[in-house]
Amino acid sequence: MIVAEQKPLQEIRRMISPYERVLILGCGTCMTVCDAGGEREVSFLHNALRLAQSKGGNEAHRFLEYTLKRQCESEFLETLVDKVGDVDAILSLGCGIGVQAIAERFPDTPVLPGVNTSFMGMSKEQGVWDERCAACGDCRLEDTAGICPITRCTKGILNGPCAGTKNGKCEANKDMDCAWVLIYKRLERLGQLEKMRRYYPMRNFRAIPRPKRLVRTPVGVGEDNG
Amino acid sequence: MYPSMYGNTHSYPAYRKETATRERSFIPPCQAACPLHMDIREYVDLVAQGRIMEALQVIRSGNPFPSICAYVCNHRCEDACRRSQVDKPIAIRALKRFALEFGGDRMVQVEAQTRHPEKVAIVGSGPAGMACAYYLRKLGYPAAIFEAHSELGGMLRVGIPRYRLPREVLDIEIQRLTQMGVEIRTSTRVVSLDLLFDMGYKAVFITIGAHQSLRMGIDGEESPGVVDGATFLREVNLGLKPSLGERIAVVGGGNVAIDAARTALRLGTHEVYILYRRSQAEMPADPAELEQTLQEGVRIQSLVTPTKIERQDGRLKVTCVRMELGEPDASGRRRPVPVEDSEFNEDFDTLITAIGQAPQTPGDFRVQIGRGSTIQVDPITLSTNRIGVFAGGDAVTGPATVVEALAAGRLAASRIDDYLEHRYPSVSKEEQETLVGDLLPETVEMIRKTGRLDAPLLPAEARIKEFEPIELVYDWETAVNEARRCLRCGMGAEILFQDKCATCLTCLRVCPYHVPHLDTKGTIQIPVDQCQACGVCVAECPAKAIVLRKPYDRRHVTEELDHVLKSATESKVSPLIIGFCCQYGLFGTGTLANLWRAAKAGIWIIPVLCIAKVEADHLLRAFEMGAEGVFVAGCGEQCARESTTSWVGHQVQKARKVLAEVGLEPNRLRMYVPSAADANPAEWLDRFVEQIGGLYLASVIMQEVKVDSR
Repeated sequence: MIVAEQKPLQEIRRMISPYERVLILGCGTCMTVCDAGGEREVSFLHNALRLAQSKGGNEAHRFLEYTLKRQCESEFLETLVDKVGDVDAILSLGCGIGVQAIAERFPDTPVLPGVNTSFMGMSKEQGVWDERCAACGDCRLEDTAGICPITRCTKGILNGPCAGTKNGKCEANKDMDCAWVLIYKRLERLGQLEKMRRYYPMRNFRAIPRPKRLVRTPVGVGEDNG
Repeated sequence: MYPSMYGNTHSYPAYRKETATRERSFIPPCQAACPLHMDIREYVDLVAQGRIMEALQVIRSGNPFPSICAYVCNHRCEDACRRSQVDKPIAIRALKRFALEFGGDRMVQVEAQTRHPEKVAIVGSGPAGMACAYYLRKLGYPAAIFEAHSELGGMLRVGIPRYRLPREVLDIEIQRLTQMGVEIRTSTRVVSLDLLFDMGYKAVFITIGAHQSLRMGIDGEESPGVVDGATFLREVNLGLKPSLGERIAVVGGGNVAIDAARTALRLGTHEVYILYRRSQAEMPADPAELEQTLQEGVRIQSLVTPTKIERQDGRLKVTCVRMELGEPDASGRRRPVPVEDSEFNEDFDTLITAIGQAPQTPGDFRVQIGRGSTIQVDPITLSTNRIGVFAGGDAVTGPATVVEALAAGRLAASRIDDYLEHRYPSVSKEEQETLVGDLLPETVEMIRKTGRLDAPLLPAEARIKEFEPIELVYDWETAVNEARRCLRCGMGAEILFQDKCATCLTCLRVCPYHVPHLDTKGTIQIPVDQCQACGVCVAECPAKAIVLRKPYDRRHVTEELDHVLKSATESKVSPLIIGFCCQYGLFGTGTLANLWRAAKAGIWIIPVLCIAKVEADHLLRAFEMGAEGVFVAGCGEQCARESTTSWVGHQVQKARKVLAEVGLEPNRLRMYVPSAADANPAEWLDRFVEQIGGLYLASVIMQEVKVDSR
């Protein structure tokens, strides 16, 4: 899941200052789960902005609230068509993808990012999220016992641990587990310690052209199906 | 999008709006068990909030004579109460009595207007007859009650002793009937129904009760000194004082036997025995009353039955035989079997037989009589074999309870209405579902145990001296605390909009009772039979997909806030301080009212049904609308949940962060949780007001400086 956090109120106020009518647009999927832009946060941000306005701001905004199921699909955005005409800007509480999808669908309306999209991760406990995947496109989790050294090792090294590990913690942050110690322990538990002896070649950093695109090609009629 | 899903509204927003305002709670077990179907959960909750007048309104809307039930109801609701799975059931009957006494039930006036010409005759003035008259008048029919005795009330008057139902309570209810325009004819025995029809009555309701005592069928039963329970109670209740002697016995194990034994004690008899053929555990009498009876000094001889009575020298020689319990009989209780050669003799001055009663219907009524001399009726319409003749109460069911008789009277009134209006009897169909299912052991474990607070009783020695009512009324605080024990079955949280739910699992993680769970399809379920309606998940749900099942609970905080903000703006007292205070418990007992100093200090209180229902949005809105300070005050240790404070703390913290960002001092927003019941919230509040006053003054000066410098 994509994890994000809401931008500071000051920054949001600065962004919206040129616009009178602002649509605060929530997203019902990842942003809801990570507490950054679900329907409740939309309503809370709305209240916070109104409070800010009543306490000494010179601006006079009018706000609209709405929450889509997913901002990153153009079909969901269709339901916004009759609302967009009434606003001067959209303050999106979707991740960076949602913001861009809106920009593509509504070329004439400014769209502002209300959250900082942070990482892909999972919730550790109520109110705590941890990064777990870097979307590197070259997954090695088979060799590392299901623990990703790209995200969980500060250096992101593939042949660890480095010399900086101490009592199972990382030299960069003594509260953080060393990913490679975790990998070692889990491999030991699985009886696959021999994987530690292998040398893993560098990842393929050869330019994968950005943006990446995935295309699912169907088997054509009449072709040799193998 | 999916038009077929949304019924007639055809639009998703309209569907949402309609769904959100609908009552979606389940009927709780107490209400389902009550023959009158009273909204018990509602009035118990109102008592818990200290809203006694409103509780009284709810009670009166479901019961024609609540003050009678408050004294003598056999409270099936308490037997069905799910709190007994945790510790002990809620003392519902005693709470009802509290609401009636403190809510001013004696002052309530009932009015009725005549809208129909058809007169209805009611034969018998017991609870069924009175209830029928009450509802017939409400429906607009002229009603007349015919009573054979000199006073109205039936068994309430001649059967139930005064210490259980004070006569002034009964008299007030009868007075209300007179006020409503019910025609009352006492000392009038109806011998023929034809005569009533000749007099112009269009329908007749027979509710003659079951006053005829059953006979034991043993030798010597006719001897002087042997009296049946119903006759004995009737004589005492109508003011006679029969001389019983020093040592008496009552035969039987039901409520009439208990009433007879306790009445005998109050008449000055020293030794009272109850002879019962089964063991004490099988006695059909109310267990609580049985216990009180034993406290008062009545002795029970169980597994004993009299077989012969002889009168010798002005006393009774009663031959008894001991019994033992054999195989279960049709009633499910074990059948008593005589033990051979176990006969023994006892001497008594009087023997009262109370082994059951039956109705005695005059033959001239020409109604069909069934098993146990009861009148046979259609159970749906209460009509007898004669056209226009209806019957109900003990005369139909055999000896039963007051509340069942009231229910029968109410049903009869609506069926008579159907009959006179030539309508097909409409069988009312319940729209709400009834809550079924027990609490899971896991849920029970998480519920804080609090003992049942019973209404105080007079001490046993004082009780037996006279016929004064033995049960006293709760004081305010005890009643509120007892009412707070209610688990609010069937009105908990639900995911109203499953399509909004992002399955983020927040509810599952925050629930103090571990109620929400994932089903095998990966959908979150909040089982209604386990939810305790605390509201934590409602405030925490990031998708706003969860709501409480009662529309009022959903709107409550927002509505109260709007209302207070409006009044506060009009009053113009500065600085304005708004407090979200728990309405239950400590605050329900009057502390809340003391904190309300709108006129003097500008403090406005928003009573909330547990502070867990306060959201950060509410706090910000208060500031936006001009509040200088806001506080949240919970009931602390009295709360049903330990984690409430921590969850509200999250909301407060979130709002404080925004305050700092917009340039307001975060300590303008405070949370206050009294650590003990005797802590004085007023002191704390005064300090807070002082602080806010200072901040307010500073902000006013700052503003003037700004204006000057321009």
